Amino acid sequence: MSATSDVIGARLPRREDDRLVRGAGCYVGDLRIEGCLDAVFVRSEAAHGVLRGVDLDAARALPRVAAAWAYADLPFLPDVPPMMDPDSVRGRPWPPLATDRVRYAGQPVAIVVGDDRYVAEDARDAVRADIDPLPVLLDPTDAAGSDVQLFPGSGNVAAEKEFGDPIDGAVWEQATVVVEASYRQQLLAHTYMENRAILVRPEDDGGLTVWVSHQAPHRLRRDIAGGFGLREEQVHVIVPDVGGAFGGKSETWPEYFVVVAAARRLGRPVRWLEDRAEALTGPPHGRGQNQRVRMAADADGRILAYELHIDADVGGYPHTGSFVPMATSMMATGAYAIPQVHVRTRAVVTNTAPTAPYRGAGRPEAASAIERTVDLLAHRLGRDPGEVRRRNFIWPDAFPYDTPTGFTYDSGDYAKALEVALNELDYDGWRAEQARRAAVGEPPIGIGLCTYVERSGAGEEFGAVEACADGSFVALSGCCSTGQGHETSFPQVVAAVLGVEPQRVRLIERDTAIIPQGIGSFASRSMQTGGAALHRAAGRLIDAARQRIAERWAVPVAEVTYEAGVLTAGERSASMADVAAGGVLRADETYAPPEAFPFGAYGAVVEVDPELGKVSVLRLVAVDDYGVVVNPLIVDGQGRGSTVQGIGQALYEDVRYDSDGLVETRSLLDYLVPTISELPPTRFAETCTPNPNTPLGAKGAGEAGCIGAPPAIVNAVADALGLRERDALQMPLTPYTCWSAAR
Amino acid sequence: MKPAPFSYVVARSADDVVAALADGRTDVLAGGQSLVLEMNYRARRPARLVDINRVPGFDRLEPDGDVLRVGPLVRHRAFEGDTVPGPLGTLLRRVVHHIAHPPIRARGTLLGSLAYAHPAAEWPAVVTALGADLELTGRDGHRTVSAADFFRGPFDTARRAGELLTELRVPLLPPGTRVGFAEHRRTHASFAQLAVIAAVTLTQGRVSAARIGLVNAADRPVRAHGAEAALLNRPLDDPAITEAGRVAAEQDADPRPQPHADLGYQRHAVAVLTRRALAQARDQG
Amino acid sequence: MTLVHLTLTVNGRAYDLDVEPRRTLADALREDCGLTGTHLGCEHGVCGACTVLVDGEAVRSCLMFAVQCDGAVIRTVEGLAGADGTQHPLQAAFSAEHALQCGFCTPGFLMLAAGALEADPGVVGDAERLRELLTSNLCRCTGYEAIRRAVVAAAGDQHPGQPESGR
Repeated sequence: MSATSDVIGARLPRREDDRLVRGAGCYVGDLRIEGCLDAVFVRSEAAHGVLRGVDLDAARALPRVAAAWAYADLPFLPDVPPMMDPDSVRGRPWPPLATDRVRYAGQPVAIVVGDDRYVAEDARDAVRADIDPLPVLLDPTDAAGSDVQLFPGSGNVAAEKEFGDPIDGAVWEQATVVVEASYRQQLLAHTYMENRAILVRPEDDGGLTVWVSHQAPHRLRRDIAGGFGLREEQVHVIVPDVGGAFGGKSETWPEYFVVVAAARRLGRPVRWLEDRAEALTGPPHGRGQNQRVRMAADADGRILAYELHIDADVGGYPHTGSFVPMATSMMATGAYAIPQVHVRTRAVVTNTAPTAPYRGAGRPEAASAIERTVDLLAHRLGRDPGEVRRRNFIWPDAFPYDTPTGFTYDSGDYAKALEVALNELDYDGWRAEQARRAAVGEPPIGIGLCTYVERSGAGEEFGAVEACADGSFVALSGCCSTGQGHETSFPQVVAAVLGVEPQRVRLIERDTAIIPQGIGSFASRSMQTGGAALHRAAGRLIDAARQRIAERWAVPVAEVTYEAGVLTAGERSASMADVAAGGVLRADETYAPPEAFPFGAYGAVVEVDPELGKVSVLRLVAVDDYGVVVNPLIVDGQGRGSTVQGIGQALYEDVRYDSDGLVETRSLLDYLVPTISELPPTRFAETCTPNPNTPLGAKGAGEAGCIGAPPAIVNAVADALGLRERDALQMPLTPYTCWSAAR
Repeated sequence: MKPAPFSYVVARSADDVVAALADGRTDVLAGGQSLVLEMNYRARRPARLVDINRVPGFDRLEPDGDVLRVGPLVRHRAFEGDTVPGPLGTLLRRVVHHIAHPPIRARGTLLGSLAYAHPAAEWPAVVTALGADLELTGRDGHRTVSAADFFRGPFDTARRAGELLTELRVPLLPPGTRVGFAEHRRTHASFAQLAVIAAVTLTQGRVSAARIGLVNAADRPVRAHGAEAALLNRPLDDPAITEAGRVAAEQDADPRPQPHADLGYQRHAVAVLTRRALAQARDQG
Repeated sequence: MTLVHLTLTVNGRAYDLDVEPRRTLADALREDCGLTGTHLGCEHGVCGACTVLVDGEAVRSCLMFAVQCDGAVIRTVEGLAGADGTQHPLQAAFSAEHALQCGFCTPGFLMLAAGALEADPGVVGDAERLRELLTSNLCRCTGYEAIRRAVVAAAGDQHPGQPESGR
């Protein structure tokens, strides 16, 4: 490709692919580190109890077992740090190995280390943990009002916040229609194909090399250094290939600290490769909210007020999950201008496994609540759900728009996205088909819509570009690809600015020894924030080169022009390689653009088996607006993948606990993620409203389908069943759920 | 998820297997697609495995007179093609495509599925409905147990310690028998919530024989005798089919608690699926 | 602990191993043969990331023991490409169609498809058979559609009747 402007928007095939299709990728479990031992955790089999003791003697006596340690053996273990929101963990410490209490089934109570995972599991089975059971709390609303306290003296509500202003009571009296509903956001398992994994090698100088399947290596470095009294530069974190993350690999999990402690004490490399039984038991789990909504509207369908109460299940420890429902709260009003809004949110500890961000991380919960409610409102008013949405949209001339819950939306054209979705769906055609079926008594179909707004990006990111004497360029980023394809898309950004072929730009990230600082990849932030940082760094590299040439040639810098890797002043010219040969030519940038608010519209057509309640999605349309798209191949893939995960939440996935607080869905025969057979006919389309706050113009992409697909499907099922009350229709929409709701 | 230690022995004959099983702590390794899964979860910890994959003749699959003989190493996949002729072959072919997926079917065996007796497995209800016999071989020789007597509950069969399931004998279905299969499950990675097998023989337009099997409708596979009786001597028309479904749900099924379904829903689904299986038998034979 | 001696023939090369009977084929390939392209995603036979070909048949290597494979001919993702490094048509098609993101499930899908196409390239001409084949494995990134396209495209690039050698 000739260099330049058309690099942005080019469907370049991924550079990552060649090694991955050959089986030559390198995930943590693929590393061959001399002398490495395997760690396995002894986990609580009770969801809540007093830990009386841990008997490790039999485990220690087994051959090829290097260590079996409980907290008492590793008393210097630092507590797990909170991911955000330190207030929520005050009085609620999370020791990486349980001390005197266990608060979820699966909580680590001891570590065993052996020559391989087989013998380590033998040793695990030889350990006896003595636990006196305590009453188990599994529902956040129940837990908030329970006398049973997980952390005596600290209460079960770890965080409570309000957003917007209390609603004037008169509005409920005077409105033409008021709808109320309760929704449950079920617990989900992230189900990345590669489970969590970490390998720690103690170094002779007292430092550590840590290979880990992670989204935020610099934060993990800070947490490990802080926890173990090391300087940050003594902890070298490397993220090799990562087999998916979806929000579950951003955290500093207790197991990581225990592996660090074990490796240091043994003076040997130790790895922990989580298995699927552990992963499905959690943590992490995602979602887990009880929502109660109330919405008032006038006769024309104008929304007058919206009230949302959330009780969020953050599991046994609030460290990784308490901020997620706050993100839901801030996104509560979605695409609509609503005069009165009030949100009250509680993050509540229970005896489930701790929750954490899961693809969408608060936004799917928000979109589901308001989109289901707007649909219910339209149904009550006897109006078309598209029309009611249009009547309440924030219109393009209203941006930047300050929401009542504290965000400033940058840009958007929600009506346009909806229009494209309705056209792609053939909305009128399906409405006609729906009427025809009803008339002749054929199985009912339903049509559901969702117009979502999400938030992407947050905070700063590091990016740097260096010119090399061989004519190539190196881009460095603080982001951390977990499968998205940064090695392909980030060089596109740099190449576009420099006006060179993308092949001349190579990306380095995911190594704290090379990348001085970084935040990582989550919240759909990589291209919006990290890409924008590289965009600026590349621009500054050109400026630096012009400056240096101006000095070398003794001409005013204004006379030095740059084009396609060549600097020119008058008759003279020099390449970037020439300049780099004269000394390091590099520009570093730390950039914090504002948050962006991608949006879109989804539509679903479903048929519900009238006898058995089984839902068949006949058609799904996804229209997303990510602003400027750098590599459509990659972004399309994000849309498709997230949409199928959204279908999973809508119809199939559900972490199920028994009454004792043990996870019943411990295999993939029970925890059901979609296979190709569950894939409906799907169309993808897009609109483009560039991010006005960055020169690159990109917004976040990657979570949309998890946000847009579930409410569209649920609304379609409610439509098919003609439900006036929808509280019985809770995800996942199993055949039994739909059959029951229709009765 | 690594198995606990065990020792391993390869059998070359049925006698080898029986000899190995004599210690009472040995499990049979055939396809292993359920056994190894459970061992990886350490839900099963046999002290020894006897591998029957190299026993000559264990893969026999042949009609013999009026029965189909199936050996212990016949993989699920063998029933995908047209190896088995007639209506029985049609039925087995319809069923097999609902069992797991191709790589599992390439390893897993029909007899292994019977010995495992998973409550949601299809084969146990098929052989129960068809009135098959199972041959068990132990130190004292062979004995034959009817499928009706073989299944005692979830993962519980009449197979005694030390015995190997050596043969399944399924009566061939008479020419003109029409077969149907209807299954209800949540995704293609899940077990059946419920399934119904039907084989109906019509003589001069009326049902002269009916065999109906229910999968996951009780603590063991069910032969729906009540529903079968409701069909006898009637034309296979909508009223008869509906009546059979009703009887299957009310008399034959004995559903147990399961996730994502209450007992009322399960009975209702038995009626619906019985109707659908019978309608398929009538319309697509 | 008693070790069993056995020989695995993997991608045309013989590996003499001494393993415990309980060692799964997947672990023997990964840990003993050093062939880490075969991934472990669930260790209970559902996800299919560990799919390899044993005597031409796609199987879950987490549900077989290495001792069962003494003398068997095994192929893994590392053996797909040509001797000169040329990508197998499936490998090229997966990249061209963006049928992989994180890549963790990819070796399993490739071996599942390779076994099926070698047995019968016509599988791609029958939408129902292709669906039934590809429903065998799980992917959490792509949403599957690109995987289906890639397998169809690769079948078109393979010469019917010329299955891959057992390299």
